[in-house]
Amino acid sequence: MKRAGFLRVLRHRFVAVPLVIAVIVVAWNLYVAAHNDGIVRGEVVGPDGRPVAGATVSMMEQNFTTNSDRGKTQTRADGSFEFTDNRSHNIQLRAEKAGLGRSRLVVVRLYFQAQNVTLRAPLRIEARG
Amino acid sequence: MMPSRRVDRAWKHASLHLALLAVSFCMLLPFYWVLKTSLTGENIFVYPPSVIPVDPHPFYYVDVWYYIPFPRYLLNSVVVSVLAIAANVVFNALAAYALTRHFRGRGAIITVLLSCMMIPFQTTIVPAYLITAKLGLLNSYLGLALPTFSTIVCIFVYKASFEAVPRSLIDAARIDGLSELQIIRRIMLPLATSAVATNVVLSFVWSWNNFLWPLIIVRDPMMQTLPLGLSRFLSYHENTTGALYAFCIMVLAPGILLFLMAQKEFIRGLTSGATKA
Repeated sequence: MKRAGFLRVLRHRFVAVPLVIAVIVVAWNLYVAAHNDGIVRGEVVGPDGRPVAGATVSMMEQNFTTNSDRGKTQTRADGSFEFTDNRSHNIQLRAEKAGLGRSRLVVVRLYFQAQNVTLRAPLRIEARG
Repeated sequence: MMPSRRVDRAWKHASLHLALLAVSFCMLLPFYWVLKTSLTGENIFVYPPSVIPVDPHPFYYVDVWYYIPFPRYLLNSVVVSVLAIAANVVFNALAAYALTRHFRGRGAIITVLLSCMMIPFQTTIVPAYLITAKLGLLNSYLGLALPTFSTIVCIFVYKASFEAVPRSLIDAARIDGLSELQIIRRIMLPLATSAVATNVVLSFVWSWNNFLWPLIIVRDPMMQTLPLGLSRFLSYHENTTGALYAFCIMVLAPGILLFLMAQKEFIRGLTSGATKA
C-alpha cells in the first residue's frame, strides 16, 4: 500500500520531471568530470597527404571578440601532436613548418571546457602558392 | 443522426481545428525562429531566410554557459523565484482566507486592493527602494524577492477558489477544534490545488522575468538575475546572434517547462469562480 503510494507520487509530473532533469544533470556532470583533462590530439599532414614531423602547432583560445595564444607544440615523427593543457571550450589550431607552408586556421568547438578531443581531420599544410 | 447533419458537424469541427492550427502556428513561429537561430546563429536579416535549420549545433549554448557567469545568474534567479513562490503561496492564502470571512470593512479592503492593482509598480519604486534600503536588504536575495512576496491577482485567485469550499465543511472543521490556520492548511489548500498551481506559475513567471526591480537594487554583478544578465550580455557583445538567442532560450526554458507541467491546474485556477453568479 505504502509502496503504491510512493510510486504514485514518483510518477506525478511535478516529481518525475525534476527527477529526470536531476538525473540528466548528474550524469552529464559525471561525464564531464571523467573527460575534462584538456587533451587535444591531432595529426599534421603536408600538401601530399603525408605526415609532417617537426611542424609547429599553435593553439589559440577564442573568445567572443578576441583570440589569445594558449601555446605551441611540435609534431612527432608520425605527424601527431598533443596538447595537454587546454582549458577552453572554443579553440583554434594552426600548423606551420618552415619551408613547407602553413595550414588554415581550424576552429574546434567543444561541448565543455577542457574536453578531451581527437581531431577527426588532420591539419593540412598548404604549399605556398 | 442524419448524414447531412453529420457532415455539417464534421465540417464545423474541421474548420475550427484549422483556425486553431493557424493561430497556434502564428503563436509558435517566433519561438521556433528563436530556437532555430540559437542552433544555427543565422542572422535574422539574411535573405532568403532558411525555414529548416542549416547545420544546427549546440555550441552557442556552451558559449553562453562559459563566457558569462550564467550558472551564477541562474542560481540567483532560482533563489529569488523560490522565495517569491513560497511567500505567494503562504501570504496570498492567508489574505484570501481572511477576505472570505465576513467582517466590518471587508468591502472597503477589497476595493482598496482592487484599486491598488491599477497603480503601476514604477510609481512605487522610490518608496520601495527606500524601504528596502532601510531594512538593509539591498543587494540581497530577500530584497530582490520582497516586492513580489504577495500579488493582488493571486489573492483573488485564492479567494475565488476558497469561496467554492462549502461553508459546512469549514464549520465542521471548527467544531472538530481546528484553528483558523489549521483550516487553511488542512482544508482550504488541499481543496484549492488549482489556485496553488496558479499562484506558483504566476509568481514564478513574474519574479523570473522581473527586470526593473533587480536593476534598481542590485549593485554587485554576482547578484544579478537572468534578465539583468541578458541586458548586460547585449551591451557587451553586439554581433553574437546565435549566443544571444541561445541565452533567450535558456532564460525562457524554465518558465515554459513549469507552465507545461502545471497548465491544467493553472487554467482551472484562473477560471474557477469565473462562471459563478
